[in-house]
Amino acid sequence: MHYGGIYEDEIVGKAYDRRLMGRFVGYLRPYRWLVAVTLILLPPMAAARLAQPYLLKIAIDNHIVKGEMEGLPLLAGWFILLILAESLFTYAQVWLLQYVGQKVMFDLRLALFSHVQRMPASFFDRTPTGSLVTRLTSDVEVLGEMFAAGIITIVGDIMVLAGIIGIMLWMNLKLSLITFSVLPLLVWVAFTFRRRMREAFRQVRARLANLNAFLAESIGGMAVVQLFNRQAREREEFTRLNAAYRDANLPVISWDAALYALVETLSSIAVGIIVWYGGGEILQGALTFGALVAFIQYIEKFFSPIRDLSAKYSVMQGAMAALERIFNLLDNDHLPSSKESPLPSGEGGRRPGEGPIERIQFRDVWFAYSGDDYVLKGFDLTIRRGETVALVGETGGGKTTVTRLLSRLYDTQRGSISFDDTDIRDIPLKTLRARIGVVLQDPYLFTGSIEFNISLGDENARRRVEEAARIVGADRFIRQLPNSYREEVRERGVNLSAGERQLISFARAVAFDPEILVLDEATASIDTASERLIQEGLRGLMAGRTSLVVAHRLSTIQDADRIVVIHRGEKMEEGSHQELLAKRGLYYRLYQLQFRD
Amino acid sequence: MPGKDFDRAGSNGLQLDVPSHKQANGHTERTISELARLYSYMRSRRGTYLLGGLFLLGTNSCALLIPWLMKLAVEGLQFPLKAPHSPAYYALLIIAAALLQGTIRIFSRTTLLHAARRIEFQLREELYAKLLALDLPYFSRERTGDILSRFTNDLTNVRMLMGFGVLNVINTVIIYVAALFLMVRLSPSLTAFAIIPFPLMILIVKRLSASMFRRSKRAQEELARLSSHVEENVSAATVVRAYCREDAQIEEFREVNGRYLESNMGMARLRGWMIPVMASAGAFGTLIVLFLGGSRVIAGTLTLGDFVAFNGYLAMLIWPTIVMGWILNLMQRGAASMSRLNHVLDASGTVTDPAEPAPVERLRGEIEFRNLAFSYGEEPFLADISLAIRPGMKVGIAGPVGSGKSSLVRLIPRLYPVADGQIFLDGIDVNRIPLVTLRNAIGFVPQESFLFSRSIGDNIGYGKEGAGAGEIATAARLASLENDVHRFPDGYDTLVGERGVTLSGGQKQRAAIARALLKDPAILILDDPLSAVDARTEEEILGSLAGYYGDRTVLIVSHRLSALRECDLILVLEAGRVVEQGSHDDLLAMDGRYAATWREQQLRAEIETF
Repeated sequence: MHYGGIYEDEIVGKAYDRRLMGRFVGYLRPYRWLVAVTLILLPPMAAARLAQPYLLKIAIDNHIVKGEMEGLPLLAGWFILLILAESLFTYAQVWLLQYVGQKVMFDLRLALFSHVQRMPASFFDRTPTGSLVTRLTSDVEVLGEMFAAGIITIVGDIMVLAGIIGIMLWMNLKLSLITFSVLPLLVWVAFTFRRRMREAFRQVRARLANLNAFLAESIGGMAVVQLFNRQAREREEFTRLNAAYRDANLPVISWDAALYALVETLSSIAVGIIVWYGGGEILQGALTFGALVAFIQYIEKFFSPIRDLSAKYSVMQGAMAALERIFNLLDNDHLPSSKESPLPSGEGGRRPGEGPIERIQFRDVWFAYSGDDYVLKGFDLTIRRGETVALVGETGGGKTTVTRLLSRLYDTQRGSISFDDTDIRDIPLKTLRARIGVVLQDPYLFTGSIEFNISLGDENARRRVEEAARIVGADRFIRQLPNSYREEVRERGVNLSAGERQLISFARAVAFDPEILVLDEATASIDTASERLIQEGLRGLMAGRTSLVVAHRLSTIQDADRIVVIHRGEKMEEGSHQELLAKRGLYYRLYQLQFRD
Repeated sequence: MPGKDFDRAGSNGLQLDVPSHKQANGHTERTISELARLYSYMRSRRGTYLLGGLFLLGTNSCALLIPWLMKLAVEGLQFPLKAPHSPAYYALLIIAAALLQGTIRIFSRTTLLHAARRIEFQLREELYAKLLALDLPYFSRERTGDILSRFTNDLTNVRMLMGFGVLNVINTVIIYVAALFLMVRLSPSLTAFAIIPFPLMILIVKRLSASMFRRSKRAQEELARLSSHVEENVSAATVVRAYCREDAQIEEFREVNGRYLESNMGMARLRGWMIPVMASAGAFGTLIVLFLGGSRVIAGTLTLGDFVAFNGYLAMLIWPTIVMGWILNLMQRGAASMSRLNHVLDASGTVTDPAEPAPVERLRGEIEFRNLAFSYGEEPFLADISLAIRPGMKVGIAGPVGSGKSSLVRLIPRLYPVADGQIFLDGIDVNRIPLVTLRNAIGFVPQESFLFSRSIGDNIGYGKEGAGAGEIATAARLASLENDVHRFPDGYDTLVGERGVTLSGGQKQRAAIARALLKDPAILILDDPLSAVDARTEEEILGSLAGYYGDRTVLIVSHRLSALRECDLILVLEAGRVVEQGSHDDLLAMDGRYAATWREQQLRAEIETF
């Protein structure tokens, strides 16, 4: 069974390795000096490595074959020096690479996270949490592997390869050329492999993302799965995704094995060729034994980096796929989420978003979450300073949307919302939101203490935590917790009741002391006694503040200065409670429905 | 209702007695025990691993043949007149051995690495099956991000161990044994000298890897913490934006990110030593052979051919020795990860299927509580609840926040553990009813409706295997969701987004109700399902639901007394105890808490109608 949900394949288009790499190199910039040091370390490291077989050649030709002991200890001394030098350079290089790699990963994760923070709320409607987590963890991890086994190491390898080719050509031109006859085959193999691996890797990563998205959701909805006894079906779907992931991996392994084996075989074949041709040369006296042995050692050293080139290539391909997805996320910028710099002073010499707001105005606002399925259709509303306006209407009628547009969690498609003639889109997002206190429909609690959940770590809010809790009547139950305000809230506040969680989210709004208060069906699922307590608290809070309250319970809005009835995205009625009742219209009906008896 | 125990809902919340997650600091010794489970996976595929081992033996035999052929070739070159064959003959043999080696190599690698992927698959299946079997207390304890990280990063480490790890261990053993054997045949004393550096290196690596284990475990934990942070941040996207907490979140992330960086650097510092240490082992061996072997060739006690072959075998030891450090690292990481996986696999839910299930297939809907008591921690949360509900009865449950309304109804489908002899359905202890039978009989609409990121139709259809379009539409109509669905762009095929974000709160709740109705349960439990809908929708839902109730047993939790008015029996809970019970009229006549609340709600209504 295919659910075809949003977690399904999001395999992206063609890979532009050079473009991706070029962009990635930008992240190395802050560490360019360290990178330079690693690069400088490469030639001496290569030299120390390459001199070893040549010492062996000298030992064989000048001492062992000739039977001369003298000078052999000196050669051994040189050998020890070379080994120590190589080890030291290798250590320095590995450590530096890891250091730079980890730093870049740190930066990249931070860049991704910060980017996600700048995304509008609508982004999260379409993006599964699991895939975002994958982006920040597994995808970045893969880049770490690239550092451990990749780029700069490859530069070192290339240097070693070039050095070996040079030395071999210098030692014996003809033998070298004959030995290198296997290389075109190697190049051809490498390129074929490259083409195949790229596609395969993309599949692998996309399927892994699907699997993780499914898993994340499954964990979140476990109670539902179990209540409906759907474990078997969930398992079936999971198995399908799990198998798809496994099956995408198998060909990658086969290709990798083939390349590894081929490189190894070619290396041995090259040795065979050296023995064949070199043997003839020795018999003719054109080649020394020492040179033959050195040649064989060089050819082994030549193929050894190529042998794990396949492993490096897999890592690089994986890294390319990961980079592509990381950059895709970083480039995903469909909504101008804020204007970071405030506009120049307006006519009154006042900068937008500063000073008391006298009037909030919705003008002909149209909005749809997707396509042209409009939730608001030409909505008009004016709220004056200090006024409490209640939005009343059916569920799905657009009340919540009005509040979301006000704090610019979403932007209007047509029409405008303005504060004293300044379009809210011209107010820096932070300034705007700092002035609006929002109590959401679903109170979200973080892992952390109660205090943190009220203040959200904000310094100013922290000073008002207890006062805020008292205002909304949350103080009483918090004080009864074993650790009072320091009591830890577990994931999503599972250790608190729904009502308690709401009280905390109320306190949160109060602690931030906003000028404008937006309450979204805030009094839902609270018993009458708590509701009374909260309403008392809110009354105090709303005094002097401009408030927009979404209410589905008429009792919560008896204090409202004005009631606006929204029906299917349009404003149907507006007025005071008494006026609206007298009208005997929609409001009257809504009212009758709830308190009919 | 001032300060009473029940208000501690959160305080002791969900701390059920389970073994602590915190593991003791790892030692190399525990590696073995962590890996015991992996061994059983390998054993179940022993045929494959054996075959892979044989392939490795084959490919390495070919590889080991090559230096010997070199020896023969060199001897032939040194004394051409005594040579039985030409250098070309040996060259051809070398090439033939190389081709055979390569061919078998492909099979050895695919066999073993495919096996590792298959084990990963199987392990992931078992982990998921385990999750499906674990109960709600487990999921409230564990963070989702942490579980996810076990499924991805930890599983990868284990797979690496089962594939590359095993492959390299077998490879190393074969090469070491065979190469040492051949080296001893060439010159026992030279062999003894040549391998002097190796044990020393292995000792160093062993010490390094012990601290590697600790550091790697720490890195894994930091990574899990980082995932959790991202997960939470993304889930709380709206709150973060509404309160302008983006920068604070970034700061907090920077800290978590920094700790992870630090833990990784701790590993990098150690790993930086591994490679040069191992590489020098090989190089020092070569040095000893060069010096001692060279003198012997000069002294005439060793042939040049032997010298060349000896060097060849020594070179073959270098790579596996270098890899050994990496394997040890892999084993440490694999063991650390396996212990994290074992933690999931060994987790035991407190809610399990009965060992001796009662022979029951359908439940009629009779519910009885006998002195029911329940606690999330040490302090009792529900106590002394006794009540018999006949099939077809409509029961309302009222009470203040934290009075135990939700907990009471959650116990019926055993979302939380119930002690024996406290809840009976149709006279059978709920713990003796198979979970499937029990939960099939109950339609439960939770306080917070959870929808899957599938289509709205799939979400409603979730209530019944293979539900047809007609049934789904009927359920939607009963839950007053049909008109909304018709307004969606793709009707029932409209995707609802993750956790149903594209729906309004009321739509989500009605979808959750429709889902429960479709199940056609004997018992319908509505845990405050109308909290996010307005008056009119509420009336619609209640209206159409009343027709659906029929002879089902219905439990409605609400603090809106008007929603409970029609119930046959209303329970009023306070501090986890039933303080009043009776019909609406009885309770009014009783003139207690219920009546007071009712009057308050009425009074407000009157004030407003004034």
